[in-house]
Amino acid sequence: MAADAPHPAFEPYAAEPVPQAPVGAPGKEGRLELAFAADEDGQTHLVRDFARVPFHLSGTLGHDPHPDAETVFVQSPSGGVAQGDRHTIDVEVKNGGVAHVTTGSSTKVLTMERNYAAADVSLSVGSGSHLDYVPEPVIVNPDARYYQELRLDVAPDATAVVGDVVVPGRLARGERFDFERYVSRLACHSDGDLLFEDATHLTPADGDPTAPGVMGEYSVYGTLFVVAPERDGDALSDAIHDRVTERTEAGESNARAAATTLPNDAGVVVRALGHRAEDVTGLLHAAWDEARSELLDVGAPDGRKL
Amino acid sequence: MSDESTLAALRLADSALPVGTDSVSYGLEQFVAEDRVEDAEDLRALLETYLRRQLGVADLVALRVAHEGATGGEDGTEDDVDAVVAADRRLSATTLTAEFRESSTRTGERLLSLQRELRDDTVLDEYAAAVEAGDAPGNHAVVLGAVAGRDGVDADEACLVACHGFVTGLLGAAQRLLRLGHTDVQRTVDELRPVMTTAVEDSADRSLDEMEPFAPLVDVASADHERADRRLFVS
Repeated sequence: MAADAPHPAFEPYAAEPVPQAPVGAPGKEGRLELAFAADEDGQTHLVRDFARVPFHLSGTLGHDPHPDAETVFVQSPSGGVAQGDRHTIDVEVKNGGVAHVTTGSSTKVLTMERNYAAADVSLSVGSGSHLDYVPEPVIVNPDARYYQELRLDVAPDATAVVGDVVVPGRLARGERFDFERYVSRLACHSDGDLLFEDATHLTPADGDPTAPGVMGEYSVYGTLFVVAPERDGDALSDAIHDRVTERTEAGESNARAAATTLPNDAGVVVRALGHRAEDVTGLLHAAWDEARSELLDVGAPDGRKL
Repeated sequence: MSDESTLAALRLADSALPVGTDSVSYGLEQFVAEDRVEDAEDLRALLETYLRRQLGVADLVALRVAHEGATGGEDGTEDDVDAVVAADRRLSATTLTAEFRESSTRTGERLLSLQRELRDDTVLDEYAAAVEAGDAPGNHAVVLGAVAGRDGVDADEACLVACHGFVTGLLGAAQRLLRLGHTDVQRTVDELRPVMTTAVEDSADRSLDEMEPFAPLVDVASADHERADRRLFVS
């Protein structure tokens, strides 16, 4: 069992049996596969889809301001991610397609007593294609242990926007960093070469997340990666930085965000910190909108979920 | 370690080593500009974050791999410049702020060329050729690991040199940014001793796959510093 742990810190958890539905039982191994491709007219279609509980798809939406884009809202009928859950998500965009994948609501990682929950996400963006993978925030409840791994493969002339926001508990209930462990890792490759990687590893018992320089006075943390290997990263970084700082400087947001260029000319990363989830998602949405305008000449879809 | 190697370590840890550490602040200048760092206690707390969340979990991990590559493994295997280059590239891939990468490669390249002025060394020559060809970025921690290893400094000692050099470098920057007495500076270095040794221990258990620097507020401050109007430091 322990050999299956995705990270050394999760080996002790992996050895713990799950008392109710065990790992691998129906409903525990969620699977989602989506493939998008553009047709000869340039219109993107969902050409393959497979969803196993708790993932649910209810078709595509013509929600995107981009005329050729396709949107999928991934839904989950379950109350949240429980101990022993293993979710696998594969998304592929090819043939010049423009696809947007998001979730209908926040992902709640439930309180755990044993084992852990994990999500394994693979995103592949083929030549000339664009993917927006911008799920709603992950809320990590007390005593939860969550591991998320995201692999992004982007063709040199493709582009991608990937967002990740973590909320350290149900803040309105006074929960804050009461979970046991949260790890989110991302690695981005192009043509077999590693472009960049990022890791968020929060273990409040071992290291204070609110230490100076870590998260300080902030609770909610988000990152938006804008991967565009063939674009001018400095110009993109400055445009996005101006956009995300103008609201904070005008006193309209008490969150803060900043943009910097990624290693290996991969594009731009935006880090955002705030007191509430909507402050962080608001700034990252502005960054996404700016990135979209630069990359696709059209802004981001409306962030509000109807 | 031999007496010769101890002296080599002391030379590499000396703040007079002319590699440009006096021109970098790794975001500290921005923390001071925002009044987040106002005194020695604020400074100590922020330096603790750098040591715990950046050096111990990333830079020192790459330093150890470079050290082993430059000196050969414990089993007496031959030196392996490819391992030094791999650690170097991996460290850049995990360093997500532009100013951190720039500061690290600027000081790294200076240390590498300085060392090659002092003596001929085929391993350092081969590594420098990779840096010049653009195949290796020349990060400071990686250069230090290779240079120290070639001078007989063992890996733990080289990590301690890296920590000491980083802390004294940032304290030097702090003295130009803040009103800070000499005793405050010495007290801060002294108080950070256990944090430095813990960072060195943390790095020993990690492979390159397990590098996980995490200091988002430092990242944001560094990105803001890129656009700051008046700057004394390049980072």
